[in-house]
Amino acid sequence: MQRREFLKSSLMGSTTFAVSGLTAMTPTIAQAATVDVNMTAEGTFKTLINGASVFVWQFKQSGGSGPGTLTSGLVVNEGDTINVTVTNNLDRAINFVVPGITGTTPSVSPGNSRTYSFTASSAGSYFYTDTVNGEIGKAMGLAGPLVINASGNRLYSGGPAFDRQYTLALNELDDRLNSAIYNGQSYSMANYEPNYFFVNGMSYPDTSNDADTVIAMNTGEDVAIRFINTGCITNPQHFHGYHVNIASRNRTPETAMGEKDTVLVNLDECVDVILPVAQSGVYPLHTHYVPGVTANGTYANGSLIIMSAA
Amino acid sequence: MFKALQRPITMMGMGRRGGGGGGGGTPPSGGRTFSYITSPTSLSTSMNGSETMANGSSISTWYFSNGGGFNGDRTVPSPVIEANEGTTVQVTLNVSMMSIPHTIHFHGLDVDQLNDGVGATSFEVNGGQSYTYTFLAPHAGTYHYHCHVDTVLHYEMGMYGAVIIRPPNGSTTEVWSGGPAFDKEYLWQLHTFDSSWHTGGGGGMGGGGGNTSGTNTTRHRPDYFMINGRDGNNLNSDSTVAISAAAGQKVLVRGVHSGYQPAMVKMGGLVFDVIASDGRPLPAAISATEWLMAPGERYDILLTMPASGQRIATVDYYDIRRGSVLGTASTTITVV
Repeated sequence: MQRREFLKSSLMGSTTFAVSGLTAMTPTIAQAATVDVNMTAEGTFKTLINGASVFVWQFKQSGGSGPGTLTSGLVVNEGDTINVTVTNNLDRAINFVVPGITGTTPSVSPGNSRTYSFTASSAGSYFYTDTVNGEIGKAMGLAGPLVINASGNRLYSGGPAFDRQYTLALNELDDRLNSAIYNGQSYSMANYEPNYFFVNGMSYPDTSNDADTVIAMNTGEDVAIRFINTGCITNPQHFHGYHVNIASRNRTPETAMGEKDTVLVNLDECVDVILPVAQSGVYPLHTHYVPGVTANGTYANGSLIIMSAA
Repeated sequence: MFKALQRPITMMGMGRRGGGGGGGGTPPSGGRTFSYITSPTSLSTSMNGSETMANGSSISTWYFSNGGGFNGDRTVPSPVIEANEGTTVQVTLNVSMMSIPHTIHFHGLDVDQLNDGVGATSFEVNGGQSYTYTFLAPHAGTYHYHCHVDTVLHYEMGMYGAVIIRPPNGSTTEVWSGGPAFDKEYLWQLHTFDSSWHTGGGGGMGGGGGNTSGTNTTRHRPDYFMINGRDGNNLNSDSTVAISAAAGQKVLVRGVHSGYQPAMVKMGGLVFDVIASDGRPLPAAISATEWLMAPGERYDILLTMPASGQRIATVDYYDIRRGSVLGTASTTITVV
């Protein structure tokens, strides 16, 4: 799908992963919409940056996944009613939870479907995941970003303004867990030591070739970046070239910190930042847990993206 | 995606030297507890270093040097670089003949693309060649530098140091112009070693012998937990780490997280003020008895010495999921 199609469909209330890039037409929320989404929870094989193949779980939207991402992103407007129908094609019960919105939800067993409904009452960055299987859901990839847009180019009503916005979903995997799950063996998250790392489901250098993951911007702008931790490790994101202002953590406005060049994204946390583009040039943005900038130990792969300011 | 830039090539030896004296830099002055070098200055690279840890083991190290590493008396960390806010900073990197390439990334200093030290967006400096990194010193505060070639390995092997930007007038008694005053100043650079990354034969080999990242550098499992390159009991006798000051004195501790594991800093139960991070003042100082530092972050802490006594400060290094403590570096805080 071309980038323009993504943008057009998001304005029509579709839910493809299309938050990013262009100064989108300001969403004017005249009337809250009802958004119906169909997702299948299924196992699949993901080809890693070094050619290895690993078994993963994903919430796959009918109509296809987002670009490169394991799990399609949802983009909706404040006030919308969302109905997500999940068909479970995995071998075990799962549910669909949006921390900060739904609370615990009932599970859906293998072979069955369930519709999970909620209202996108409050603008901000969220994620959805399965909680029936503890953290193994996230570790296997059963999670994705959810963005609720406010009216006007602001992170929330009366909140920080931006000229353009990007979403960066962060996750990782420990291929020994994926192998154990595939082989029907038990696995404890106490042994979780990931060796592959992703931004929007991709490893560098693939991240530098994806229009939703390259942060293209212009000097003088304010760019909103939504870090959404859909994984199982803490994620200290370091900006080359710039300092940023942390706008909120899990939708609570941040007041304690000044400008930062390294922003910690905790477990289960969504951190929105505003980047004032003070200079032009091309710079990396990457985890400073530098083993996260590798694929099975080899640098430079993993959780690194490129920012490019004209 | 981005255009490859022509790499400026200069022959080794033509880089500018000077600033802060010879081997080991300028001895501690002002409230400093560490020696330092000042811009314009130069750093050479070495991949043949070693450090003896508290348990007697020798660990091979790679480092930047100005006639010596940090404080002139160890290879890791690398020397402290100082400059005044608003001045042009120049650091010439001289990569040793026959060496694999290296760069310097000035972390948090918001340098431009050409001087950012990232090979993919600019260039790497090959063995036998030099480059003078040039940038404007930003807001007074605590910053960091490290090699950005095969970063996961070069950084872990010891190629890291700190940058301190002083107020425009070079004051060593206030953190930034008009900012909090202090009497004594420490720099705590956090880092851990996974000794399996430092083995593979003699001559300072790294990466399990291959000198490159790969399967030998999968999963960092630290077994040495340091402050300023020292560990274990050595931390109590290291004058750059063990805090010693008179009752009532203000002690500035510049924390630089140069490592890979989240770290919780405690000052033996004493309440301290966190006043700045990443080179910028906090909107208001935060009082705390413990503070979490994530890899890459810096926090400036202001401690008021109590009336008397000795306490134990600790840095607990956690696994990347913040589940359990993998190891601790501890030192003393003594009222003299």
